Amino acid sequence: MTTSDAVEAMVKVMGPYIGDTMARSATEAHCQKLGIAAGPLPTDRLDALLAKLGSGLNIFLGRDKSALVMAEVRRALATLEASR
Amino acid sequence: MSDRVQSTVLPWVVLGVAVAIFVGWAIWPASALYARVLTPHRLVALAALLKLVYLLAGAAWAFACRDRLEEGNPARPAWFLLSLGLLSTFVGQLCLAPFQVVRNETPFPSVADIYYLLSYPLLIAALLVLLNAYRESGFPVGSGAERTAIAGVVAVIAAVVAVPILRPVAQTGGPLLDRMLNVAYPVLDLVLLLPLALLLRVALRLRGSRVGEVWLLVLSGFVFLCAGDICFAYFQSLGETHLDPFVHATYTLAYGLVAGGAHRQLELLTS
Repeated sequence: MTTSDAVEAMVKVMGPYIGDTMARSATEAHCQKLGIAAGPLPTDRLDALLAKLGSGLNIFLGRDKSALVMAEVRRALATLEASR
Repeated sequence: MSDRVQSTVLPWVVLGVAVAIFVGWAIWPASALYARVLTPHRLVALAALLKLVYLLAGAAWAFACRDRLEEGNPARPAWFLLSLGLLSTFVGQLCLAPFQVVRNETPFPSVADIYYLLSYPLLIAALLVLLNAYRESGFPVGSGAERTAIAGVVAVIAAVVAVPILRPVAQTGGPLLDRMLNVAYPVLDLVLLLPLALLLRVALRLRGSRVGEVWLLVLSGFVFLCAGDICFAYFQSLGETHLDPFVHATYTLAYGLVAGGAHRQLELLTS
């Protein structure tokens, strides 16, 4: 899975909650901080990215709801990976 | 219409109709409707009751949001402070309500002003804590330069607006306490505007989303609160009491929007 595919999938799931603009800018900002570049996305980097996004979502949605959204993101990413 | 849609839409229809009635009262005070049916006494009583309902509901829902957020969540104290601020305003309104409902009077200054004034540090602190919580989320909240620019623009606008509004208010010949309170409310509102502007910037990035809807409601409620205070100070000090319906409209709208935002946030946390 490439970084851009993963970002698109994440934005699609998080968009209804925090808006496409915030979802995209948050994901891209975290990618930059974690040193994630374009191209294939290693699993350990993906997990770190999801952890960062999840802790950010906590502020807006609370821990329980945030965990549900991140589980939804993981499912979307798994579906994306399976379809390749 | 389903129960769900009804329960979502009906409160907003009630708020919209109430605000329209108050605005209509200001525009056509001598019309038959306002002279015979919706008399000033009835409308002042209606405004008092609506404000009490929205403030109590808002305080309760904001507290419930605080309760639903786990300990250590940086947004938790913000919802608590918002709840306390609304509760303090509710107590202030509760002090006024008997005079408004029974005697069609709004004493000023009164013990209610203690609670209204007390609500400001709580509401300002709520916005500052919220701003800090968003910063801690790691989500983009704008660069330091952008935030400084927004703060600078708000400070300049506040200074430009404050002088022409506050000068006539301060120069009226009323008692010192009246004048001090009439200046204090708009000044506190201008302080409130600073974190409000920074949060509005964040809220713009959240547009089109469920969280964005929460913040659009809460923050626009604060904008109307500021507008209501400035109108109140201006009309009160200049004796323009025929414009009071606008003050009732802006406060009712402000409390209704904040309560609606807190309710949406609670729905989001519990859905």
